Amino acid sequence: MTPVSITDLALLIPELILVGMALALLLGASRIQTATLATVGTVLAALVAALTAGWLMLEPPRLGFSGMFTVDGYSQFFKVLIASALALTTLLSVKRVDSESVRPAEYHALLLLASTGMMLAVSSLDLITLYLGLELTTLCSYVLVGIMVDRPNSNEAAIKYFLLGSFASALFLYGIALIYGATGTTDFEAITAILSKSGPGMDSLFMVGASLLAAGLAFKIAAVPFHAWAPDAYEGAHAPVAAYLATASKAAGLAALGRVCWAIFKTPGNELLPEVSMVLAGLAVLSIVVGSVVALAQTNIKRLLAYSSIAHAGYALLGFISGTAAGTEATMTYAYFYVFMTLGAFGVVIALEDRGETLEGYQGLAVERPKTAALMLLFLLSLTGIPPTAGFVAKFVVILSVVQEGYYALAILAVVCSVITAFVYLRVAVMMYMKEPESTALPDPDNDPSSRLPLAVSAALAVAALVTLIGGIFPGILTSWAVAP
Amino acid sequence: MSEYIGIVAIFVLAGVIAGGMVVLASVLGKKSPSLAKSEPFECGEMPFSLPGGKMAIKFYLTAILFILFDVEVVFLYPWAVIFRKLGIVGLVEMGIFLGILLVGYVYAWSNKALDWQ
Repeated sequence: MTPVSITDLALLIPELILVGMALALLLGASRIQTATLATVGTVLAALVAALTAGWLMLEPPRLGFSGMFTVDGYSQFFKVLIASALALTTLLSVKRVDSESVRPAEYHALLLLASTGMMLAVSSLDLITLYLGLELTTLCSYVLVGIMVDRPNSNEAAIKYFLLGSFASALFLYGIALIYGATGTTDFEAITAILSKSGPGMDSLFMVGASLLAAGLAFKIAAVPFHAWAPDAYEGAHAPVAAYLATASKAAGLAALGRVCWAIFKTPGNELLPEVSMVLAGLAVLSIVVGSVVALAQTNIKRLLAYSSIAHAGYALLGFISGTAAGTEATMTYAYFYVFMTLGAFGVVIALEDRGETLEGYQGLAVERPKTAALMLLFLLSLTGIPPTAGFVAKFVVILSVVQEGYYALAILAVVCSVITAFVYLRVAVMMYMKEPESTALPDPDNDPSSRLPLAVSAALAVAALVTLIGGIFPGILTSWAVAP
Repeated sequence: MSEYIGIVAIFVLAGVIAGGMVVLASVLGKKSPSLAKSEPFECGEMPFSLPGGKMAIKFYLTAILFILFDVEVVFLYPWAVIFRKLGIVGLVEMGIFLGILLVGYVYAWSNKALDWQ
């Protein structure tokens, strides 16, 4: 064990920036009364972190902290994504933080620390570091879900999420203990070395540990049957927090799952273990089917988006099943576009405030607020997977990756469920464009300045819409950065 | 897995012996109930109210602050043992660690968590 040096700390620059801003916000917490200052600080920190993470991506891969931490293209790709999601979430929450009397410094510090945990998780090459990162994220998320302390449903959501989440963390930790028991190490590389010696007929103790590990990670990405927390947590949470959980948290969980699959569960021939591949296929099929079908019955938009995010977790998993580099890159692309289009859809929900929470609220929106309705339509089309939006490219690459490996049944199922989800999303579009507005119409934004969107929210929606469009028309610009480890 | 059989055997033996004692005592033991015996036993004291009343929330705050500094001390002990081996890097690292915990302290202080009103 070599002591930590300055070069190790240099690998942590993006994380250190976020932690530094979080600590600064906590120090000034009693003096920060409105969201503006905290928002500016958080967005700046997120942008600088994204830039430094992107800069580290250009350098050759490096290891630090005795091989527990890596800075490679894979981890940096997800770090840029997490930091961008953080910046957009912060912009989207500007108005809500003040109107819900959420304490701004604490709210933003928790967002920053949750993102730090995700960044640590995607870079870790050791089970303990991975656990530490994920746990930092979930501990902050529990508080964020319950941050509207005077709303009973927010508290209820936080308690539910906490109980299920701590159970999942315990499973994950137990899995680590069993893997340590079977191999005597928590280091990914050492585990692989021991497994390749013992051959494919693996230790049953290791297999139990691996399944518990998979269950813990499946909980993080809300894959069926570990999805039950997501709709309740999203529904009760502050809408920007729900958006953050659905996007950044899921992307980090996917990244961690991919890393574990890629680094531990491979055969000596550098292929994914068939058992693991089967488990992933099971999770993917269940998530796609349950997520798509149950979304049909939802009338609350946050619950609808929660089930949609469950289905999308299933689609994203498709890329990992093949175990090839192309498959992993497909999942990375999927995660990238998914984050932006989902943040966009949540952004419209946030922009419409209380009206945006239920399906009925979208009735006749195209007449009253044509621009907002058009944006929502764009995100809905992208979530459905209709060209020329990013959602089409994302679905296309993951389905292509399973077809190339000969999983035709999976590909057919994915396409069929895609048609089901089209009904889910287009139901909202029909509400917006084919129904007359209700009598309690919103005031015309041109006459009433109070109903105009804050600049920050408009900016975040514009960025999300831009990525959704560019990703659909020129996918190469963004997908060329997705490189498997 | 065979090396864990000993642990399983101890679990089973402990269960059988403890369970056996309870069952035998309730089956074979002499019973002469009295008023004093049916009272809840609390270190020989007569109980005068049921537990479960309200506690001031300040105690939880104190407990959370205690954890903050307890964890700090837990890390200081092993650090002190190998202090010389870690050298100057170890000193700086512990300074950063304490600095981060100090932010929590300042946060608690500036939010009046330490005022006992």
